[in-house]
Amino acid sequence: MSSLRQVRFLLGKDLRIELRKKESLVSMAFFGTLILVMLNIANGIGRQVDAETGAGILWVAIIFSSVLGLGRVFAREKENGCVAALLLSPVTAGEIYLAKTLVNFTLMLLAELVLVPVFYVLFGAQLNAAPLTLLPILLLVNLGFSTTGTLVSAISAGTRRNEVLLPILLFPLILPLTALAVKATSGALAAKPLTALLDQLEPMAAFCVVFTAAGYLLFPFAIRED
Amino acid sequence: MSTLNRTTLFPALAALLIPAAIGMVFFYAPLERTMGSVQKIFYFHLPLAFSAFLSFTVACIAGIMYLRKRQRIWDARLAASIEIGVVFTTLVLITGSLWGKPIWNTYWTWDPRLTTSLILWFIFASCLILRSAIDEEGKRATFSAVMAIIGFIDVPIVFLSARLWRSIHPTVIRTDSIGLESSMIVTLLVSMTAMLIFWVGLYKFRVALHLQEAKVNDLQTDGIR
Amino acid sequence: MRLRPKNTCRTKRKPKTSVSDQPPFLSISGLRKSYGGREALRGIDLDLQRGEFLCLFGPNGAGKSTLLKIVATLLRPSAGQVNLLDYDLQEHPEQYRAQLGMVSHQSFVYQDLSVLENLEFYAALYGVKQPRERSLELLEQVNLLDCCDMLAANLSRGMQQRLTIARALVNDPTLLLLDEPYTGLDEHAASVLRDQLQLLHSRKRTIIMVTHNLRRGMESATRLGILTRGELVYLEPKKNIDQAGFEKLYFQHLETV
Repeated sequence: MSSLRQVRFLLGKDLRIELRKKESLVSMAFFGTLILVMLNIANGIGRQVDAETGAGILWVAIIFSSVLGLGRVFAREKENGCVAALLLSPVTAGEIYLAKTLVNFTLMLLAELVLVPVFYVLFGAQLNAAPLTLLPILLLVNLGFSTTGTLVSAISAGTRRNEVLLPILLFPLILPLTALAVKATSGALAAKPLTALLDQLEPMAAFCVVFTAAGYLLFPFAIRED
Repeated sequence: MSTLNRTTLFPALAALLIPAAIGMVFFYAPLERTMGSVQKIFYFHLPLAFSAFLSFTVACIAGIMYLRKRQRIWDARLAASIEIGVVFTTLVLITGSLWGKPIWNTYWTWDPRLTTSLILWFIFASCLILRSAIDEEGKRATFSAVMAIIGFIDVPIVFLSARLWRSIHPTVIRTDSIGLESSMIVTLLVSMTAMLIFWVGLYKFRVALHLQEAKVNDLQTDGIR
Repeated sequence: MRLRPKNTCRTKRKPKTSVSDQPPFLSISGLRKSYGGREALRGIDLDLQRGEFLCLFGPNGAGKSTLLKIVATLLRPSAGQVNLLDYDLQEHPEQYRAQLGMVSHQSFVYQDLSVLENLEFYAALYGVKQPRERSLELLEQVNLLDCCDMLAANLSRGMQQRLTIARALVNDPTLLLLDEPYTGLDEHAASVLRDQLQLLHSRKRTIIMVTHNLRRGMESATRLGILTRGELVYLEPKKNIDQAGFEKLYFQHLETV
């Protein structure tokens, strides 16, 4: 019980800072939109995309912009040695892990509220507008990205080259998740029903479960100094 | 003197066995009927792939052991196996492409095995980049142990999802139904043994090198203090 | 490498403090820490009774900060044990940490939270019953009540230092660890810190302070220790030695390094 309380305090603290400064969210939404615009131009102005290409474009924008927010998650804790203060308190490393994962999950979801509509505006002419089949895909990727990303960002924040190392370490690990998400999304954009996408959604869920467990177990090693 | 013998035993054996294996590949093993001489690269490709996978298994085990024991030797083993694994996976990808070009008519296809090898290469190469970015010995060891473990966990997931997403591209081939003659199997076994012994030799060299590097580092920091 | 018999510090602290019939409040035994092949701590044995104020001196790189970090659970010892009352550091880390307060080189303060929010957040993490009341009480003690709604980033340096001190006391720690707390403090913050330490000491709180500032360390400690090259080469009650004598001894130890 008290464990949940601790997670809530940690989460509340991070969200309060984010609401006040809005630094992660603004840069995520802005950068994601920028990628979408650039890909729209790269695709050739006025040319339509099919469902498969569209799905790829959407996920490139989301994944690349999310790395920005993820990098801040631990960089902020490192600023005045606050990680050490958290480790000194009765909070367990597992609770810190859960809180940080939830922070990142929330940030991604909020950024997607901007990016998905922008995507439809730029590319959606021939695509099926199926936000409800898209939603479970978004949630699963957010979860998988956040659980893996929180672990990796704790590692990269412990080095001198945080911003460079984070995507280098993270992207190979989440490649299977991304590939499955692209395939599922292309199905959704081609107006397939949700049940037809279970072939992709199930392994995505498995990815989330495995990496949540692995992240929870390995996180204490990534965050401690010794 | 005895330690010298022990470290040179495996390289010496490998120096005998690898030429022998090459000889067998070209002069003993028969020419495959449909693929011709191209098939011979398979005698190196398969042992390389097996040793590469062995490296990553060793890396994962060494990572777990390091996190439990915090002993320098496990970090040396981890580093050695990742380095060798990356080199071997690179060779696997190259030999695979060389074989694929005449047989599948393309250097690259998203076959599950190819995809898995490529992603493995990325994961463990990123591990090497991570190691080069950290100076503190303990931190470097802990972080790369975590990455090695989680990278290894990723392998079955990568393989499973590669099977599911490959229908994006047309599947060109199936590799698993090549009938092997007994002389082919003998050749394969010899080259497999040669490659494994070569692997052990390399591994021992690299582990010893990492331990020595750490000792030199100790002496240097002691000198500064 | 210099070798010493392992039991050097044991023999040196034979004349224990008067209250040794009670079980020790904090007990450290056989503590070792090595980074790679370099030994930062080479077997530390130390018992503290409740209410003792230990001041540890030593040159840079003697292992003072390492020792404090291990006691604070931030580092894992390579060998040896730390017990606080009955809580083993390794087995009950959460209960152990709930008793702990620490002032370090870093401020442990979130720049984008206000002064009050910072304290309330930490109070909540420690499970303090009334986080707001406790925070306000502390802010009054460190003279920050007027600016409790300011963002920590906008505080002056001295004010931030006082906030750091308040933060460390938020759970009313029974064991307070101080790593060079006087370094860089302005006059006001230093006097606030001294007052708070005296207050805690009078309430039987146990304090370990690490410093190389002899004057500051001597003024409030009840026990003095010298750490060089990862070994506790001196550990005596303060009443056994006067300031000049201790200074002479300290510089002798510095020269042997």
